[in-house]
Amino acid sequence: MSTIYFLIQQTMFFTIPLMVVALGGMFSERSGVVNIALEGIMLMGGFCSIFFINQMQDTLSGQLLLILAILIAMASGAVFSLLHAYASINMKADQTISGTALNLLAPSLAIFMARMIQPSGVQQIAFNNTFRIAKVPVLGDIPVIGNMFFQNTYITTYLGVLILIVSAIVLFKTKFGLRLRACGEHPQAADSVGVSVYKIRYSGVIISGALGGLGGLIFIITTSTNYNASVAGYGFLALAVLIFGQWKPYKVAGAALFFGFMKTISATYSTIPWLQGLNLSGYFYKMIPYIATLIVLVFSSKKSQAPRAAGTPYDQGAR
Amino acid sequence: MKRTLALILVLALSVSLIAGCGKVNNGGASGTPAPQASDSATPAPSGSGAELALVTDLGTIDDKSFNQGSWEGLKKYATENNKTYQYYQPSEGTNAAYLEAIGLAVKGGAKVIVTPGFLFEVPVYEAQTKYPDVKFVLLDGEPHTEDYGTYKTEANTLCILYAEQEAGFMAGYAAVKDGFRKLGFMGGMAVPAVVRFGYGFLQGAEAAAKELGLAEGEVSVMYNYTGDFNAAPEKQAKAAGWYESGTEVIFACGGATGNSVMAAAEASKDKWVIGVDVDQYSESNTVISSAVKQLGNSVYQALEAYYGGKWDGGKTWVLDSKNDGVGIAMDNARWRTFSAADYATLYKAVQDGKYTINSASDIEIKDLGLKLVKVTEVAD
Repeated sequence: MSTIYFLIQQTMFFTIPLMVVALGGMFSERSGVVNIALEGIMLMGGFCSIFFINQMQDTLSGQLLLILAILIAMASGAVFSLLHAYASINMKADQTISGTALNLLAPSLAIFMARMIQPSGVQQIAFNNTFRIAKVPVLGDIPVIGNMFFQNTYITTYLGVLILIVSAIVLFKTKFGLRLRACGEHPQAADSVGVSVYKIRYSGVIISGALGGLGGLIFIITTSTNYNASVAGYGFLALAVLIFGQWKPYKVAGAALFFGFMKTISATYSTIPWLQGLNLSGYFYKMIPYIATLIVLVFSSKKSQAPRAAGTPYDQGAR
Repeated sequence: MKRTLALILVLALSVSLIAGCGKVNNGGASGTPAPQASDSATPAPSGSGAELALVTDLGTIDDKSFNQGSWEGLKKYATENNKTYQYYQPSEGTNAAYLEAIGLAVKGGAKVIVTPGFLFEVPVYEAQTKYPDVKFVLLDGEPHTEDYGTYKTEANTLCILYAEQEAGFMAGYAAVKDGFRKLGFMGGMAVPAVVRFGYGFLQGAEAAAKELGLAEGEVSVMYNYTGDFNAAPEKQAKAAGWYESGTEVIFACGGATGNSVMAAAEASKDKWVIGVDVDQYSESNTVISSAVKQLGNSVYQALEAYYGGKWDGGKTWVLDSKNDGVGIAMDNARWRTFSAADYATLYKAVQDGKYTINSASDIEIKDLGLKLVKVTEVAD
C-alpha cells in the first residue's frame, strides 16, 4: 500500500508543474497566440524566484517565503512573456520564431546573470528546501486519502488544483473567457462587436507567462536542491500536454496526470515488484505518453479543437 | 514607421548583446570575478587567452564535482605563481567540439592545457601531435584513437589516472561498518572511472560484511547508471523510489546527478547520500561523506612539475591511497559510528594491500566474485 501512496505523491511532483504550465499555454493559445516560449518562461520564472529564495532564506523560511517566491515567479514570467506578446501582437512577428528566440535566450541569460550577480560567480543557485509539508494537520490523518494527497506535499500542489478550477471557470463562465475564446477563434468577428483583440491577446499571453513562471518554480522546488538554468524540457512537454488535452482545462489536467504518472513509473519501476515482474524496459514507459499524443493527434486531426486563429497575427486592416 | 521602430529595436538589442558578450570576456576571461584577477596582479595577457587553460568536460567549472575540482587546482597554482588562466567550454560533447575548444585555447596562447575527463582521450590523441609545443594534462584517461586501435602518449602529454576503486571501496566499507545494510549506487555514464567507483563500492561492502560476519544477502545494493551527468526530475523520482523501498544510503556518482539524489534524500527521513570526486558536504545535510579524488592536488602537482623543469611527459601517473590521491572525506562526515580512527585503520589496510581490490572496469558485476552482497542491477 505504501508503494501506491508513494507513487501518487511522486506523480504529483511531475503533474502539477506540467498542468500549471499547460494551462498557461492554454490561455495564450485560446487568445490566438501560439506560445512555444513556455520553456523559456519557466526558466526565467524559476531563476528570479529561486534567486529571491537564495537571498531571503536567512531571514525568512517556510511557507511565507514560498508564497512570496510564487508571486515573484509569476511576475517575472509575466514580464518575460511581454517580449513575446509585443513581438507577436504589435509587431505581427511569426509567433513560432519569437517563441524560439525566447527559448534560446532564457538559459543563456539565466547563466549569465547568475554568474554576474552571485559573489561566488557560479551558475547554480542553491536553496534550502524548507517548504515541504510532511503532513497537513487534520486532513493528513484521514485514512487512504490523507496518505495520498495530504502527506509529503507542497502548498503548490493545492495551488495548482485551485488554478485548474479557476481557469475552467474563467474560460467558460465569464465575459473575459468568452472574449478570449472569440479572439482565438475569429478575431475579426470579436473586433466587429467592439472587443479589443490586442488587449485580450495581451492578457492571454501575460496569464500564460505568469503560470509558466510559477510552473518553473514548482518544478525546481520539488525536484532539485539548486537552480541550474534548466527545466529539463518540461516547457515543451507542457505543450504536448496541452495538445493531448485538446485545449480544455480538465482534459489538460487529465493529460498532465497521465504524463506525470507515466514519468513516475518509468523512473521508479525498478522498485515496484509487480511492475518488475512484467519485464518491460523502462524505455517503454517513457515512450507511452508520446505515442499516446501521436495517436490522439491522428484521431482528432479531422475535428481538432485547436483555436482556429492561433498562430495568425491579427491585422485590423484585413477585416 | 513600425518597421523603423522594429529595426531600431533589433539594433539596440544586438548592440546590448554584443556589449554583454564583451563583459563576459572581461569578467570571465579568467573564469573568476574581476577582483580575483586584480588581486593576483597578473600581467595582462597579450591576446584574449591565458597561459594555463582548462577545457571542461560535459559539466561546468562549478559542477561541485569533477570539473570544479580540477579547475580549483589550476586556479590555485595560477594565482600563487602569477600565471594567467582561463577555461574553455566546448559547445557540445563531441570530439570535434572538444578539439575546437582545445584549438581556441592554443590560439589564446596556452602553454599547458588541462583536459579533465575520459571523454578527452580521443581529442587529446589528435591534439598532442597537432600542437607539439603545447603540454596536455589528461585526467582520467590515456590518449587513443577512436577505435581503441592505437594507444599513444606523446612526450607533451601527461596522463593522470586515479584508483577510484579504492575510494569507492572505502565508501562501501564505511557505509556497511556504519550500520547500513541497504545501499544504492547511482552512477552517471558507465565510463571507466564511474565503473571503478561502483565496483569498488561493491567490493568494500563485501569486505565489511565479511568482517562483521553478516549472512549472505543481508547487505543488498541497488545498482544503476543514469546515462548522463545532469540533474533531472526522473533521477529524483528514481532515487526517491529506492529510498521508499528501503535503501538507506545512495552513492551518487555522476556529477550533478547527485543533486537529484540529494533532493530525494531531503524529502525522506533518515536517508543519506555519499558524494563523489570532491567533498560535497555543503551541498546538502544528507551528504554523509564523499568518495574523493585529489583532482586539484594532482593538477597542481603536474603544473608544478612543468614549471619546475620536471615535466613528466609521455607518462601516466596513477594516484591511489599510497600517494594520498584518493580517499573518503572525513572532516565534515556525518557517519553515525564510523570514526576517524576507523578510517585511519581502513586507509592503512588499503595502503598496505590488505584487501585485493579488483580495478578492472570492463568486466561484469558477477565477475567480481561477491558472495555476501546481493546486487540488483537496474537497467536504463
